[in-house]
Amino acid sequence: MVYTAALAAGLVAVGGGLAGLLLTQHHGPAAVRQAAAVIVALPTPTGPIAAPPPSDLRPVAAPVSLTIPAIGVGTRLIRLGLLPDGAMQVPSSTSIAGWYTGGPRPGAVGPAVIVGHIDSRTGPGVFYRLAGLRRGDRVYVRRADGTLALFRVTSVRTYLKDHFPTQAVYGPVPDAELRLITCGGAFDPALGSYLSNVVVFAIAVI
Amino acid sequence: MKTTTRTRRIISLLAISLVSALCLGGAAAVASATSATASASTGNGWIRLTHLSPNTPAVDVYLYSFGDSSAMIVLKHVSYGTVSPYERVAAGTYSVAMRGAGAAAASPAVLSASVQIEPGHAYTVAGLGPESGLRLAVLDDRLTTPPGQSVVRVIQASLKQHVVNVTFGSVTLARNLAFGAVSSWHTVSPGYETVHVTSDASSAVTLAADTVHTLVVLDGANGLEIDNLVDAAGNTAIPVGGVATGFGGTAPHGSPSPVPWLVAITAGAVLAVTGALRLRPRLRPRPHRV
Repeated sequence: MVYTAALAAGLVAVGGGLAGLLLTQHHGPAAVRQAAAVIVALPTPTGPIAAPPPSDLRPVAAPVSLTIPAIGVGTRLIRLGLLPDGAMQVPSSTSIAGWYTGGPRPGAVGPAVIVGHIDSRTGPGVFYRLAGLRRGDRVYVRRADGTLALFRVTSVRTYLKDHFPTQAVYGPVPDAELRLITCGGAFDPALGSYLSNVVVFAIAVI
Repeated sequence: MKTTTRTRRIISLLAISLVSALCLGGAAAVASATSATASASTGNGWIRLTHLSPNTPAVDVYLYSFGDSSAMIVLKHVSYGTVSPYERVAAGTYSVAMRGAGAAAASPAVLSASVQIEPGHAYTVAGLGPESGLRLAVLDDRLTTPPGQSVVRVIQASLKQHVVNVTFGSVTLARNLAFGAVSSWHTVSPGYETVHVTSDASSAVTLAADTVHTLVVLDGANGLEIDNLVDAAGNTAIPVGGVATGFGGTAPHGSPSPVPWLVAITAGAVLAVTGALRLRPRLRPRPHRV
């Protein structure tokens, strides 16, 4: 009788253990994976594509919205400055990206910077799929005067925040370029932040 | 004695199960810790082309990658004072050829020069001098400024005034700069100031912070003109460190350790096997003695 009970209890334990193993050993919340699986089909923006200005100071209009068809991003752009500690200000909403006003306007000579969240506390943010961009993907920035600046992705990199390549991202360049920045890498629950940044480098298409 | 053998068997089963459980757990931990970070230099440089010879008619400018007879870039009908935008090209050796506007691509070049483009560097290839002594100069352009400062140089491309002095506000940028010559770089406080070229021309010019400029002195329809080129521009205020753009809502939860489940499975298996082995003799028909 005791042995029968042991056999039964053992089989129950094996079954329970297998079920527990299968249920807990997956990656990421199921809801997020579902949301991420759906890329909203975005129409390619239309309008006059203004070539980057020749090497002079002719101003271009301020940016108002951003479209990245390859990863389903379509967002208006808010304006960002610096925080009192000198770090980059970030959008208060995780579903809207922002343009850094301390740098050039998209389409003018220099590296224009646009920043967006990868996620909120509960789900994906506007730049959730940024790291999935590939060389050659197109990025459109619409400006206040209705013109579009068109950029082509040249590289996508992940850097530890402790080794952020400030010069490569923000430093002077001789052509019209764009940087898209979000978080990436491992998340440190103790710090409440990701340990890396994903930076997309893009250049204006003439 | 049979019982002892059975116990040993059970113990060895238990050991094998535990070892495989630990191996599984270890493999899972290694797999979840894998991550990759890319980092490499881009290997690109920049080149721009300009015609700065006042009495030379318009030209067609060709850019060839070394050893390739078909041109990468052709700029048609480039007239005096025209400056192309920078072209981003892979680092390497290139040659620039100038032909009269409309001349066949296969015709002999009037002028040519070879340019070694280093990664991360920018170059201006300029047709300089009078038509009789036209030459292609390869200028090393500058991409960086001291923080908050503006950096500027002057190219003297005026035949009307062979030698010029150039000032930006109270700063002298060039003294006795001869036709076809290029000044050294000057670091100045950024701002909106009047540029004076000798006493013949003046123009209000903005030199922006963290921006590299080239001022070109040109012959205009009436007297001299000043062209303010932006060679490179950065961010005027550089943010400190990385950017805080995530709250972790989509971060993979560190997968809970599989070890407790594997231990439960192993223990259950041991229990079940033990039970089954103990039960077995009872189920066998007992031998009958006759």
